[in-house]
Amino acid sequence: MNPLRRFLRTPEALAGAVILAALLTMALAAPLLFPGDPQAIAGPALLPPFQDWSLPLGTDRLGRDVLAELFHGARTSLAVGLAAAAAALVIGAVIGTLAGFAGGLVDEVLMRITDAFQTVPSFLLALAFVSVVGPSLGVVVVAIALGAWTGPARVARAEVLSIRERDFVAGARVIGMHPLEIAFREILPNALPPVLALSSVIVAAAILTEAALSFLGLGDPNRVTWGGMIAEGRTVLRTAPFLSIVPGLALVLTVLGVYLAGEGVVETTAVRRSLS
Amino acid sequence: MSSPLLSVSGLTKWYRRGGKTIAAVDNVSFHIETGETLALAGPSGSGKSTIARLVLRLVEPDAGRIQFDGEDFLALGGAALRSRRARLQMVFQDPLAAFNPRATVARVLDDPLRIHGIASRLKRPRRIAALLERVGLTPDLAPRAIHEISGGQRQRVAIARAIATKPSLIVLDEAVSALDVSVRGQILHLLLDLQREERIAYLFISHDLGVVRAIAHRVAIFDAGRIAETGDARTVVDAPQSAIGQALVAATPRLNRA
Repeated sequence: MNPLRRFLRTPEALAGAVILAALLTMALAAPLLFPGDPQAIAGPALLPPFQDWSLPLGTDRLGRDVLAELFHGARTSLAVGLAAAAAALVIGAVIGTLAGFAGGLVDEVLMRITDAFQTVPSFLLALAFVSVVGPSLGVVVVAIALGAWTGPARVARAEVLSIRERDFVAGARVIGMHPLEIAFREILPNALPPVLALSSVIVAAAILTEAALSFLGLGDPNRVTWGGMIAEGRTVLRTAPFLSIVPGLALVLTVLGVYLAGEGVVETTAVRRSLS
Repeated sequence: MSSPLLSVSGLTKWYRRGGKTIAAVDNVSFHIETGETLALAGPSGSGKSTIARLVLRLVEPDAGRIQFDGEDFLALGGAALRSRRARLQMVFQDPLAAFNPRATVARVLDDPLRIHGIASRLKRPRRIAALLERVGLTPDLAPRAIHEISGGQRQRVAIARAIATKPSLIVLDEAVSALDVSVRGQILHLLLDLQREERIAYLFISHDLGVVRAIAHRVAIFDAGRIAETGDARTVVDAPQSAIGQALVAATPRLNRA
C-alpha cells in the first residue's frame, strides 16, 4: 500500500490533514477572495457576526472585515510557523551533526552553547530578540527559531553518535572522503528521520509563539496576525467577545491540525520501519 | 625496491575498560611484499580486526610504526592522508553494513573515482560499468540500491570499490566469512585473479584456516594481541608449532577425515 493511503487511514491523521489542507487553502486563497488591504475599513465598527452577509464574521473596532483578517492571518501564521520550524530544524541538524561527528572539544563547546540556549525560556529569548532588533516577519522567524533549535540538535547528535561507529562511515574514510562530506552526505541523511519527527511539535510551538508575540504587540505591524487580532479584541472583550474568540478558535484548530498530522506521519513511518 | 610494501613494527593499542588497561594489540611487527598475501588468523578477540583498523588509520595506535609505500604512514594527516588512501583499501566483513543504507551501486563506485579524480564526471559511468564487469557483475546493476542485491553481489561491489583507485594493498577483514560456501569460493577466485593481474597485496584477516591455507602465502597466528607463530601458510596450517595454532587447526571442521 502506498504511504499516503496508509497515512490517511488513521482518523487522527485524516482529521489533521483536512484541517491543514483547509488552512493552506485559506492562506493561498486570501489574496484572491479578499484582494486589497485586509486592514482597510470595510463597514461599520463592531458589527457582530452573521448579521450582514457581505461581512459574514462582522467587523472589529475600526470596522475592518474579520473574515478577511482571518484569511490573511492564516498566511502569516503558516509562513512564520513553517519558516521558523524549518530554520530550527536546519540549524539543529547541522549543529547536532557537527557536535556528534567531531566529538572532543567541538562537541563540548557546541553542546554547552545548546545548554545555554535551553536554560533560557524560549519565549523570553524571542521577546528579547524582537524588542532589540525590531518587529518584522524575518526577525520574528529568527527569534522563534533561536529558541527551538536545541531539541533537534540534541536528537541529531544522539543519532550521529550511534551512526558514526557504523562500518559504512569507516568505509567512507577508507576511500578518502573529506570529513565534512562524511558528516553531511553519509551520516546526516541517515540521522534525519527522528529529527523530522520533532517537526510537528516545533511548527505548532512556533505558531503559538508568533501569536503570543503579536498579542504583546511585537509582531510585524504591517501584517494581520491572529495574535494581533486577539489583542485588538481584548479591549472590547465584554461587549464583542467574538473578536477574540474567532482568531482564538483558528489558532486552536491550526495547532491541533499540525499535531494530528504530525502524529500520523510518525505513525506511518513507524509502521514502515517495522515492516522493512 | 628493497623495502617491503607495508612494514609494521612494534604496533601497540591499549583499550581502557573499567579502570583496567587491556592491550588489544601488543608490540606486533610484520611486513607484506608487493603482490603477496599475508593472513592474520586467530580466535575472536585476538586483535586481528584492530590490526586492520590500525593499518588503515581508522584508529590511532599508542605505539609503533607503519611504513607504507616507503612513507611513514602514521606521520600523514589531513589531505595528504586522504590522497594516500587511494593506495590502501579495505573490504569489510558485513557487506550490508559497509555501505550507506541509502546508496546505490553506482554511487558507491562513483565516490572513490570522484574523490581521487580518477575519471571525469562524463567518463565515470563507463568506468563504473568496467569495474562491475571486472568483478563479475553486469553493468545494469549500477542503478540498483545496495539493499536490493544479494550478499554475494554486495561483496563483489565492495571489492569493485576497493580496486577502483588501483590500490597496491587491500585489507580484507573477514571478507568472506559472512558469505555462504559456494559464493565464498567464487569470491576467493576473484581475489586470486585480481592479485595475479594487478599485483595487489592482501592483508587477509580470517579465523578460518582452511580459507587461509587456500589464499595466503604467509600466515601470522594471533593470540591475545600478540603474534604466536608466523611462517609459510601451508607449513603453519599443516603443522602448527604454537598451542593456539594447534587449537585453531583442531577446531577446523573437516569432512574428508579418514
